[in-house]
Amino acid sequence: MAALQSELVATRRWLDEEQYGLIYGLARITPGTNLLAFCAAAGWLIAGWAGSVLGVLAVTLPSAIVVVLLTAGYQAWSGNALALAAIGGTLAAAIGMMATSSWQLLLPAFRRGQILRALVIFTASLVLSLRVHMAPIELLGLAALAGLIWKAPAEQ
Amino acid sequence: MNLLLLYLLLLKATATSFSGLTSMPVVRHDMVEKHHVLTDRQLNAAVAAGRTAPGPNGLYIVSVGYFIAGTPGAIVGALAVMTPAFLIIPMMRYLGARANRPAVKSAIQAVMLAAAGLVIAAAVPLARDALVDPLSVMIALGSFLFLVVTKKDTIWVILGSAALGLAGRLIG
Repeated sequence: MAALQSELVATRRWLDEEQYGLIYGLARITPGTNLLAFCAAAGWLIAGWAGSVLGVLAVTLPSAIVVVLLTAGYQAWSGNALALAAIGGTLAAAIGMMATSSWQLLLPAFRRGQILRALVIFTASLVLSLRVHMAPIELLGLAALAGLIWKAPAEQ
Repeated sequence: MNLLLLYLLLLKATATSFSGLTSMPVVRHDMVEKHHVLTDRQLNAAVAAGRTAPGPNGLYIVSVGYFIAGTPGAIVGALAVMTPAFLIIPMMRYLGARANRPAVKSAIQAVMLAAAGLVIAAAVPLARDALVDPLSVMIALGSFLFLVVTKKDTIWVILGSAALGLAGRLIG
């Protein structure tokens, strides 16, 4: 995002600071991948629908091709004992990455000092999912409702 | 599974998430538990592939699509990742300054916190499959600590863990 700001605002002046601020903020609350939403909006402001579609494709396609190649490689090599050992190591690391992802979602609330709120919602979500087997969609809807009722201290 | 249903299910996951892996619990619920078209091991491998590739988070969905339906599935997965991004265009017009309203921010923050719990809940069955010996447990713990403390790129974790897995096999 920092590289995009530098390129689009400072170097090429295709967006002004206000436009950048608006789409940066909106991208954070747009469902899906924030970076793609940012590129869709930046492309749209610069060149309309064509710019929007091109912006999203330019960011997605090269990485998607790498993902497909890696997945195909996994499928092709998963029968080889040595490759399987290496893949086993990466699968174990993926569990650590998931824990990191969860930690990164909690961290902003911790930094804002909303530790109790964060831990209550996190724990409730974990228990409702693992013990009650509530479907993720229902749980996220319930969380949004909880967020509307139990507002963060700074916003009260 | 036909491609339209695959697209709609993956879109459901991406359109109800707000960052990379927060869509994973929905993907696991639909693809592993409900429709049985993906295994926990494949989902775990998809996450690893998605995090290895450069670019935006969340592209593990492309790998999920590939596992389920080959190249057409990967294309469908990519479309499901890209589609919600365009919601920002009507949002710019209709939401604009309202995006910073405390109620909207508070609700989204709560969704993110719940997603943190859901990611751990979805990782539990994957961990049962992937963490089978002391070495794999150490790799998982090590990768978590490495990423949290150093903020270095995920590719180093992938390369290091693959090397450790290989070394474990050759030595043991």
